Amino acid sequence: MVKYVLKRIALMIFVFFVILTMCFVLVKLLPLVDPVQFGKDMNLIKMRREALGYNKPILVQYGIFLKRSLLNNDWGISEALYRGQDVWQVFVSKMPATLMVNLYSLIFSVPLGLFLGIYSALKKNKWQDYVISTLIMLFISVPSYVYALLVQYLLCFKLKLFPLQMNSGTDYFTWSMFLSVIPAVLSLGFGSIASLARYTRAELSEVLTSDFMLLARTKGLTRAQATVRHALRNSMVPVFPMILGEFIGILSGSLIIEKLFGIPGIGQLYVNSITSLDYNFFMLLSAFYTLIGLAAGIVVDISYGFIDPRIRMGER
Amino acid sequence: MKKRVVSLLLALSMVFGLAACGGNGDTPSGSESGNESGTEGDTDADNQGGTENGGATYTLNLAQSTFPTNWNPHEQQTSTDADLTYYLQEPFYNLDFNDTMDGYEMVPMAAAAEPVDVTADYVGKYGIQEGDTAKAWKIQIRDDLKWQDGTPITAEDYVISAKLLLNPVAHHYRADSLYQGNLVIYNAKNYAYSGQYAQTPMISENFGDDEYVDHDDFVVNEEGYFTTEDGKDVLLKIDSMGNWDPDNGMDVYHDAYPDWFQVDGVDVYTDLFTPNADADGYVKVNEEVYQALLNVVGNAQAGGLDAYVEAKGDYAYHEWEEICYYGETYPEMDFSEVGIFSVSDTELVLALENPLEGFYLLYSLTDSWLVKADLYEQCETVTDGVYNNTYGTSAETSFSFGPYKLVSFQADKQIQLERNEYYHGIQDGQYQTTNIQIDCVEEAATRLEMFLNGQLDSYGLSAEDMETYQTSDYTYFTPGDSVWFMALNPGLDALKAQQEAAGENINKTILTVKEFRMALSFALDRQAFALATLPTQSPGFALFSDLIISNPETGESYRSTDEAKQVLVNFWGLADEVGDGKMYATLDDAIDSITGYNLEMAKEYFNRAYDIAIEQGLMDEDDVIQIKIGMPNSTSSVYNNGYEFMVNNYTEAVKGTKLEGKLTFTKDDTLGNGFADALKANQVDMLFYVGWTGSALDPYGLMEAYTTNSYQYDSNWDTSKTSMTVNLSGTDYTASVLDWTYCIGGQEITITAADGTTKQYSAGTSDGVDEERFQILTGLENAVLEQYDMIPIEIDASAGMRGMQVKYYSEEYVFGPGRNGYQGVQYLTYNYNDQEWADYIASQGGTLNYN
Repeated sequence: MVKYVLKRIALMIFVFFVILTMCFVLVKLLPLVDPVQFGKDMNLIKMRREALGYNKPILVQYGIFLKRSLLNNDWGISEALYRGQDVWQVFVSKMPATLMVNLYSLIFSVPLGLFLGIYSALKKNKWQDYVISTLIMLFISVPSYVYALLVQYLLCFKLKLFPLQMNSGTDYFTWSMFLSVIPAVLSLGFGSIASLARYTRAELSEVLTSDFMLLARTKGLTRAQATVRHALRNSMVPVFPMILGEFIGILSGSLIIEKLFGIPGIGQLYVNSITSLDYNFFMLLSAFYTLIGLAAGIVVDISYGFIDPRIRMGER
Repeated sequence: MKKRVVSLLLALSMVFGLAACGGNGDTPSGSESGNESGTEGDTDADNQGGTENGGATYTLNLAQSTFPTNWNPHEQQTSTDADLTYYLQEPFYNLDFNDTMDGYEMVPMAAAAEPVDVTADYVGKYGIQEGDTAKAWKIQIRDDLKWQDGTPITAEDYVISAKLLLNPVAHHYRADSLYQGNLVIYNAKNYAYSGQYAQTPMISENFGDDEYVDHDDFVVNEEGYFTTEDGKDVLLKIDSMGNWDPDNGMDVYHDAYPDWFQVDGVDVYTDLFTPNADADGYVKVNEEVYQALLNVVGNAQAGGLDAYVEAKGDYAYHEWEEICYYGETYPEMDFSEVGIFSVSDTELVLALENPLEGFYLLYSLTDSWLVKADLYEQCETVTDGVYNNTYGTSAETSFSFGPYKLVSFQADKQIQLERNEYYHGIQDGQYQTTNIQIDCVEEAATRLEMFLNGQLDSYGLSAEDMETYQTSDYTYFTPGDSVWFMALNPGLDALKAQQEAAGENINKTILTVKEFRMALSFALDRQAFALATLPTQSPGFALFSDLIISNPETGESYRSTDEAKQVLVNFWGLADEVGDGKMYATLDDAIDSITGYNLEMAKEYFNRAYDIAIEQGLMDEDDVIQIKIGMPNSTSSVYNNGYEFMVNNYTEAVKGTKLEGKLTFTKDDTLGNGFADALKANQVDMLFYVGWTGSALDPYGLMEAYTTNSYQYDSNWDTSKTSMTVNLSGTDYTASVLDWTYCIGGQEITITAADGTTKQYSAGTSDGVDEERFQILTGLENAVLEQYDMIPIEIDASAGMRGMQVKYYSEEYVFGPGRNGYQGVQYLTYNYNDQEWADYIASQGGTLNYN
């Protein structure tokens, strides 16, 4: 198993470098148009670009980038989005807000999604199942920004239960901060609850009708014992990786929810770094998300073995 | 199992190790927070920790959709950055209300008085010669000018800050504020460039004859390359066509016109220029390159060098210089040679390269370059030759000498400012605002909800809000100085190439027919277009709006003059309808009748355009016209609605004409910030809602945006070849549109009278020919409008609501001070202090009624 993981890590590093190289070359191939400004001395901008090495061949620039970023952990200075500021520091300063909101959302949505899915499966084809399934379809069909707008308008503006925007500052663990992120957490959570509940219901419903469940009951286990000990564990094989995937997904933030609720997070950074051709920001984010995505793949693969011991990785 | 646990832990630690690495717990600069304020739902008074004013606080709550990122006075680039800068600094002079509150006057701020002309004291220095005036000015600085910690500010601080601004290693974005434009500090540019290798076009855009260099006057160096007598390299740049077309590379022309580059059977572009280009695309000119360039220009202009020499004489041997550059390394220079120095603690002297006086001198000093030098230097780093400075990127790296100081800044979230008690301007009736809180709220709907909850003191109305709030007592309309245009780039060759690429029976070349562009103009219902896109805008009919000031000394609006009115009336075809017994008694009556929309005339022009296009072979009868409209993105409702409107509007307009069913539109909504360049490069055929902003006090300078190749949207209009005649003191003189443009900028040009006599003439600010200068300006406006490639469609304007907590100083918007003076807070007063305001909101049930 360890050998398998090490092999996967080696492959991951290889893929990481391939993707990083492609990202660098592609973004550098985008035309960097001279920003024509009325009455501006454009030589200042040209001289700055010359000093930054923008006029060097792309592969030379890539070599400098690799040496600087990977060997010296210096990801450079933002030239467009947060001019003059260290891109890594800006990124790290914005990460906690995104993490906090998404973590709260996960804590809120996973238990509720699982509970509704299990309950719905156990009450299959009864009115409870119909109600839950209808709600699930509704919440899956409607995009999250629609809930967000409704939550903001009803709970924040009309009923004034919560503030319209997340609090400023970095006191992430105060009551008032918690209260201020609830609208965003709710908006993010509805979709996750619905999809988790739907998967859990589908998997559990199938497992509950399996032959081994009948065998378990005939061996004398109660319905509850058979469900908890056998059915749930089997049904979690596709569901658990999904939860893990969501957990890792929290690092990427949500563009629309962050915009709407004033969360100073990282949701918009990646798109903005491309549109404004902020090379250093783009490469940092590309490297970060590529690495996270590749590592998450390994974690998810390994997690199968824990949920279902019959699944073995890398064994002949 | 154990192995699996180890594996999972290994993988998990990898994932979360990534999230954690690098974060050392320190607060990174540039994203400081430390804000302890309560929730957004709390009352304003709860949020205060700032200066008390008789026990009461007055907080101005604002929201912005974008936030500043760098407000270093040497680096700030956007108006969002500048807005914050202005709270923290004070210029030497600024515009304030005049005595009658209906206009502006220039008043000293950081300066104690008007500048004094001390040119005579510096004859023999800083390039000043005997008899010169207005080239050296002494500015008396206030003796009570202080930083936010009480440290006095001296004239030497300005000198040190100027040195930091012009630091040749830094390439500060705003370094040119001391040498570009009207205010040109002696040697400022040379110092900023010192030790740098820089390229400048060999021939400036107005093609002055004295700028051309004869072949024999070049010096050939040891390596065989041409240089000038003073050592400048002569360079060709393969990714530009110099003055001919700075936006397109030579490859574009090589692809389109390969014959130009054939010299004695050799393709000089591929076999000579490209192989000899350095990494930046520059080719040093030697005899071989020179001969090749002569032939390329000859081929392009007359099909061969000999034919071109026969037609143009010596000019045929000089024109190649228009597409070439000088390259030179600026010599190292000591800052003492720069024309800015202090003569006492409160006296600063500026020595200028060009004379400047009156309003424009003061107006050039409405920005400040002053920085807190010790903090500034702490923020500097140079890594591998790349300079960086974090000054003005966080509360810790900012230092104020303006009316407010920055107490906290959280990137993309919140800014908190507190009144600077060391600021000299705090007095009765001014700066009542004790605190300013600015939130970053991107969604307009959220800003409106916050405004209605009493959390904001102003709200900019969007198109969707207009129906509900446009008649509210709290709604204010603010005119803008910009005119928005529909821009076209009707170059025949480029359109031909585009239409061939678009497929069979697709036509674009009809855009070169002026009647077709006129039809597009007449067929656009501008009022309806504004309602569909930006309801606060009003229809635009000319190049300059009512807010453009032609005489800044008096504040006279360009559009209010009879000459400018006549341009408008002529352009819209009403010239014969004005006068006693005619349709319109006065020019104003005629102007009031202009809507820009005349469907009948539009149909007539569509028919005429079709006939011309068929006759000239520009179009076949079974062709379908396809106009590609460029848009910055696909999410903007303004552009999406505008596009839909255009399509429907023009589809309807051509009904019943020969173009019925033949006019179609496509769009490219992926162009981002480069959508203006896309038109110049003919990637798209039309743009709308484009124009220029920021020169309200200088329409003479602004004219360059419409007539010089560097800025023109229509890169195919060669203004150097378009003649214009102006009556100067009773005599008609002719010159090119481009020459006239440079003439009103102060450059001497050659003008030709009807009898063929010529004279040198310039009409700059210091030439004392204000009336003639104005005549030329109106002539140029007419020339640009008559091209029908920049078709005015809307005039910028905005609408916003005032919160009940605050009271505006002036109900009318006055250009310069606006409604509340410097930075919108100087004269702003309050109906309620923060506590009273919180109580009032509560008494209204938490939601205010602004209908």
